[in-house]
Amino acid sequence: MFGLYESAFGALQPGNILMFLIAGLLIYLGIAKKMEPVLLVPIGIGIFMVNLPLGGLMTYTPEGFPVEAGTLSELIKSIGEGKIGLLNVLYTYGIESEVIPLLIFLGVGAMTDFAPTIARPISFLFGAAAQVGVFIVFLIAHLSGMFTINEAACVGIIGGSDGPPTVYLTAALAPRLLGPITLVAYAYMALVPIIQPPIIKLLTTKKERAIYMEPQVRQVRRLELILFPIVIFIAAALLVPKSVPLIGMFMFGNLLKASGVTDRLAQSAGGVFIDVLTFLLGITVGALMPASVFLRPQTLAIIGLAVVAFICSTAGGLLAAKFANLFLKKKINPMIGAAGVSAVPMSARVVQKMGQEANPRNFLLMHAMGPNMAGAVATSVVAGIFLGMLM
Amino acid sequence: MIDWGLVANIAGGGFGLTILVLAILSLVAWIVGLVIRKTTKEREGSSSEDNK
Repeated sequence: MFGLYESAFGALQPGNILMFLIAGLLIYLGIAKKMEPVLLVPIGIGIFMVNLPLGGLMTYTPEGFPVEAGTLSELIKSIGEGKIGLLNVLYTYGIESEVIPLLIFLGVGAMTDFAPTIARPISFLFGAAAQVGVFIVFLIAHLSGMFTINEAACVGIIGGSDGPPTVYLTAALAPRLLGPITLVAYAYMALVPIIQPPIIKLLTTKKERAIYMEPQVRQVRRLELILFPIVIFIAAALLVPKSVPLIGMFMFGNLLKASGVTDRLAQSAGGVFIDVLTFLLGITVGALMPASVFLRPQTLAIIGLAVVAFICSTAGGLLAAKFANLFLKKKINPMIGAAGVSAVPMSARVVQKMGQEANPRNFLLMHAMGPNMAGAVATSVVAGIFLGMLM
Repeated sequence: MIDWGLVANIAGGGFGLTILVLAILSLVAWIVGLVIRKTTKEREGSSSEDNK
């Protein structure tokens, strides 16, 4: 344009402009609507960064994969020569290496209170039943012919509604889809209060929704809280070895909290630490969405299939609770099964709200938190099962 | 080409395995809770007898 100087206007494509609109929408939803702002805002910024041509923050192979940073000596040389950008470094060392999702899960563990799950261990079964959407969508996705078997597993796990296992599995099995899958997973988690209520209403009568449960779950002893993460980790590790990284970090984070002697570590892990990592995850995931990768029919299919996964998972957890009621002397409110979809704590809040609408005396939050936490463990187990079967 | 056997194995077997693993974890959590509650109660019982 000006002799040797080159502006980016000439390189702008219609796809880039469409991606600006998507990025703008995500930033709007994050800031104005407070939908997952810690994640959606950096994803939006990441999308802007990589769709502004010639910026060089992230470079891609012709197939749309981010160029890997390589060894440290290659890294310095590659940055100097402009072959890779800052976000390639974050991608290679943070996401592709799976460090960031695992450390985020450690932080999640440090914020988690397993007392409701310990008080009612049957919660694990509701969490397990709520994974049915993962496998149904895995089937549909693969049979549609649009996704390979590995990619279908990653699309399916969106139904588990748990961020770190989704990112971890996708980084391992289908890194090319990491951008759209992570975006859709987190966006839908924020939409749980809209997606779940109609399904719950459809599958329960008003009488069932009004079933009263005592506000307090049983008192859990400190020793139980301390032993729980250790015992569950060992059992899960023996049963599903590939889930060790996820469950190990999750339970380690929880032990920091439950032990009561590492409060400062637990507060750090669940505070600034997880915020910084989530921010880095967001901006890197955003950078995985140049127009050439994101604007494909597969992305639309992921958006549609994720809704199916959430619906089936909600139904699975809820129907499992209804089934359990056939055998329980003291009936439980079947809505707590729907909280097995581990969008913590949104799905538990949905159950609490709907429970109070049906019966103002009901206070179901703590009862729903049990399946909610069990759902997080279940999704990690599912990720381990997929990895065990597909790698 | 779709390998129906493999897909069915992963979907059906995977979900079945998930239920089985979580059922075992549920059982483990229940047993640990039961043992801790019993031992704590016994300890509390014996300490209250000592006080008498």
